[in-house]
Amino acid sequence: MTLGALGRLAIRSWDAARGAADRLRDAHRHPPRRARLERFGAIVQLTVPRALVFVDRALARRAVAIAGEPAGDPAIWASPETAVGDAPLSAPLEAHLQLTNRCDAGCRGCYTGASPDGARGEWGLAEWMRAIDELAAAGVFHVALGGGESAVLPWLGELADHARRRGIVPNLTTSGLAGLDRLVAIAGRFGQINVSLDGLGPTYARVRGFDGFARADAAIRALRRVKREVGINVVVTRDNFAELDRLFAYAAERRLSEVELLRFKPSGRGARAYDELRCSDAQHRALLPSVLAAARRHAIRVKVDCSYTPMLAHHRPDRALLAELCVYGCTGGDFLVGAKPGGQLTACSFAAPPPAAPESPDAARPRITELRGYWDTPGAFGAFRRWRDAREPCASCEYHALCRGGCKVVSAHVSGDPAAPDPECPRVIDHARGGRGNDRVRLRVVS
Amino acid sequence: MTRHWQRRDNDAKRLSTICYHRGVRRGRILAIKWGMNPNSSSLGVDVTFLLVGATVLAAVTPVIGALLRWRRPAPAEPAAAVPAGRSHGEPA
Repeated sequence: MTLGALGRLAIRSWDAARGAADRLRDAHRHPPRRARLERFGAIVQLTVPRALVFVDRALARRAVAIAGEPAGDPAIWASPETAVGDAPLSAPLEAHLQLTNRCDAGCRGCYTGASPDGARGEWGLAEWMRAIDELAAAGVFHVALGGGESAVLPWLGELADHARRRGIVPNLTTSGLAGLDRLVAIAGRFGQINVSLDGLGPTYARVRGFDGFARADAAIRALRRVKREVGINVVVTRDNFAELDRLFAYAAERRLSEVELLRFKPSGRGARAYDELRCSDAQHRALLPSVLAAARRHAIRVKVDCSYTPMLAHHRPDRALLAELCVYGCTGGDFLVGAKPGGQLTACSFAAPPPAAPESPDAARPRITELRGYWDTPGAFGAFRRWRDAREPCASCEYHALCRGGCKVVSAHVSGDPAAPDPECPRVIDHARGGRGNDRVRLRVVS
Repeated sequence: MTRHWQRRDNDAKRLSTICYHRGVRRGRILAIKWGMNPNSSSLGVDVTFLLVGATVLAAVTPVIGALLRWRRPAPAEPAAAVPAGRSHGEPA
């Protein structure tokens, strides 16, 4: 290991230790939800290290204080113990709240189609506070707040405070292009803030359609000065794929806590730009080795979004290891839910709001404030929960229980059917070419 | 070439072997979701562990398990997540 690498590791360790101390202080002031019972046992939240730990019933009996059940097991454990993923959770782990669809940036690939005018019927602070109350009552651990550009909302800090008071950790994504001064002042209220950065310099402009890199970079530096848990979200496109290593280097140089890689989705304005911006099949197959090598080289944590699970499976990682790391494909309507600016409940941020009940499609669509009532409705979240009814080549795929058929939003855009196999999955592509879909390769990841 | 994170596929039996003590089943950690997800459009998962593989995770997991056992039991909220007698979370 070189001196430079050792130095980077020392800096990372120092930042991590200081961040842990900050989190402990915050947790003392506003204790986050600590545990939730599940059919398989429980989910326990740790502040240091920052993690949600899924435990079986035996361990849950030791680690969780179960109130009101002195005579025996809680009702949720009345049925036989299941494995994680066998059935939907009792509530989402996190909710993605699109607080507004207002944004002046006009990015050509914007998945919400955000505009300066926003959406009709957008909720205000009072409604979103009620939504937080509902999520807290359901047992949600985290919320991810986004837009549009939610940093321009004058009540954003108040909503974050309310979430903290209810035991939910608020996290935030921002473009960094607006509302920065206000955001810097309230940055400490969030668990993690990521700034969207889809390229460096001219690449940013190529991906987004305008030159906003300098402003985004200034936002990242300003936020990092006041907060350690700041990272970047990178929507990976065919234009910036070759620049991923430089983006990791940038994140390391700015001493950011993570790089999160997002697959380009054909949603909002992104539907029109999909053919032009989406990654090629070759890029998807090369993704995992490329990003792990970059993460190692620059000593920075890397996250990938749920829709990349088919591209991970292409390299035949150990399934047990993926399960232990909670690497699942589409968990919309299960691990996560979304809400539109008017509060409409969705399986994920890209999905359309589901009908209140499959047999009455014209009924009013459920709001996030009705989460608990809708969650156990038969047929809730439609295709998102019917992933077990898979076609080939998903049905015979050894990773299907983890991947769950890939991204339903991409499937819906390409084939018109959200339940169709993800058309960008390497196995699906090989299958369509006449192969059996078993042409997975084992690439060298770390040289 | 097979890498360290591709070798094992044993349905996590490794974790169960470390969680027994004097013949009493002490329970098992099933999964750990690291970090928090600020991304409001999809669920981000930390795959940095794929760099170091199952060996390091196997070293970390007992530490987390010990932390859970030794600290004061965490209160479960909501206390009554499912009404008695109600089928909960069945696959739709």
